[in-house]
Amino acid sequence: MTGFLDYVPGSSVLHRLDPLTKLVLSLGICVAAFVSDDLIFLLVLIALDILLGVLGGVFQKALRLLSGLLKLSVFLFLLQVLFVRSGTVLFELGILKITLDGLFVGARLVLRLTAATLPLQLLLSVTQLSDLSGVLVQRLFVPYKYAFTLTTAIRFIPVFAAEMSGIIEAQTARGVEFDTKNPVKKIGLILPLCVPLLISSVGKIHESAAAAELRGFTLRTRESQSKRYVFVPADYAFLIFTVLLIAAGILF
Amino acid sequence: MIEFRNVSLQYNSGAAAVHDLNFTVPDGAFVAIIGANGAGKTTAAKLMRGLLKPTSGEVLIDGAATTSLRTSELAKRIGFLFQNPDRQLCKPTVREELAFGLELLGVPDAEVKPRVDAVLEDFRFDPERSPFALSRGERQRLALASLIAVEPKTLILDEPTTGLDYRECMAVLGRVKALHEAGTTVVMVCHDMELVLDFAERVLVFSAGQLLLDGETRKVFRDTETLPKASVLPPQITRLSERLADVLPPADTVEEMEAAIRGRKGEKA
Ligand SMILES: Nc1ncnc2c1ncn2[C@@H]1O[C@H](COP(=O)(O)OP(=O)(O)O)[C@@H](O)[C@H]1O
Ligand SMILES: [Mg+2]
Repeated sequence: MTGFLDYVPGSSVLHRLDPLTKLVLSLGICVAAFVSDDLIFLLVLIALDILLGVLGGVFQKALRLLSGLLKLSVFLFLLQVLFVRSGTVLFELGILKITLDGLFVGARLVLRLTAATLPLQLLLSVTQLSDLSGVLVQRLFVPYKYAFTLTTAIRFIPVFAAEMSGIIEAQTARGVEFDTKNPVKKIGLILPLCVPLLISSVGKIHESAAAAELRGFTLRTRESQSKRYVFVPADYAFLIFTVLLIAAGILF
Repeated sequence: MIEFRNVSLQYNSGAAAVHDLNFTVPDGAFVAIIGANGAGKTTAAKLMRGLLKPTSGEVLIDGAATTSLRTSELAKRIGFLFQNPDRQLCKPTVREELAFGLELLGVPDAEVKPRVDAVLEDFRFDPERSPFALSRGERQRLALASLIAVEPKTLILDEPTTGLDYRECMAVLGRVKALHEAGTTVVMVCHDMELVLDFAERVLVFSAGQLLLDGETRKVFRDTETLPKASVLPPQITRLSERLADVLPPADTVEEMEAAIRGRKGEKA
């Protein structure tokens, strides 16, 4: 089973694009999602995300993330609807007040969140992390140290998640009631566990850093990269498309 | 008593990690689980503790299916030592770490201190040190000590001796043996066949998720047909004794081997 941020090997159009194009495209979709206030446009962006997912052969994974986001969305939506008190009142009962503005703000937040999260997952699904850091160093002149930091942070997310679930399992075995149905109680129980997680993480990172240094990490320069990245016509097409997308976002 | 009835477990979308397990661990037993890496030992151990629930079949603890028991409530009855002890440690001092398990189970405050003191005395820990500043072997012992403080009826130990030197290893297993003699049921996953022979009364041999052999330790180690299939090599003395079966009576320990050889010499003279 692959994690939701893992690379999925393949040879689709998206896989063959230059990593820089993919980076620009996914960030472009995010920007478009943030500059536009139009609900229809946001829906179009989500449809585009899904279409790209299909194109990259990672439709299943996108769906999984989408269903995960749905839970969060419901929560966020309810929060917005309950706390926005301005605008035309649609329903009122005691202190409970639902307004048209509330519905609109809630929907916009949720759609924007979804439209902006999906492309980032797509980027990581069709681009190897080494290519991502490679292109940052070679094309964008980002020092290798920083590019490496970024990709390592992404790489460590599933590692930390696994560590956390291991800690939770071990503490359940000791009798901590993580199997409670009460979510508030559960959050209270999880917070103290950040200490062992932090300690084990810092330990792991220290070891990785020492290992990298021993292998000559500090000697690496921009020229060390043997792989060269070049644009093909498809790259230009996607880049132009991204610019148009952002322009459309500003327009709507 | 722990009973496995046609137990299979499959991690999400993978092949079955354990398949159709059937066995019983009676109260007061000392059982070892052996087998190659990835054979399903840890999975079986977690199933016994209710940390994992079977995909099919059922695991019964004292007659109740683990699916009907809350995982955290079982802590009073079954102690579980993880392969990685660091995940079990979470308090700033050794004393608090040892007290934590007791507090979780609702032991009255007045009773906690004497029980923690007894364990501290036994394991000779400095109560004010941070668990995270201890060496790997000490952390392993602390994780075990915090289980023992709770005095569970059953102990499940997943590779308790990995990474320990001989002295630490004996310190840990000496404690476990004493508990077993006092009536605690022990299930231990272990890669060291010498230790298995010395401590376990019964062995379960796992291979590729299946239970290949289940029997008395000495008998299992003499099953030269089946053991290679599980990539298990019996202890050296047992192998030597096996080779000399035509001239020497069976021997599984240094002492027995010595007696066998000396006995034979006496016989010749
Ligand atoms: N959390 C998990 N998710 C998926 N597969 C797992 C997980 N844990 C173990 N496995 C797989 O199950 C099999 C048995 O693992 P395990 O019980 O840990 O073996 P052992 O402890 O005997 O080395 C292995 O093939 C392992 O890769
Ligand atoms: Mg294991």
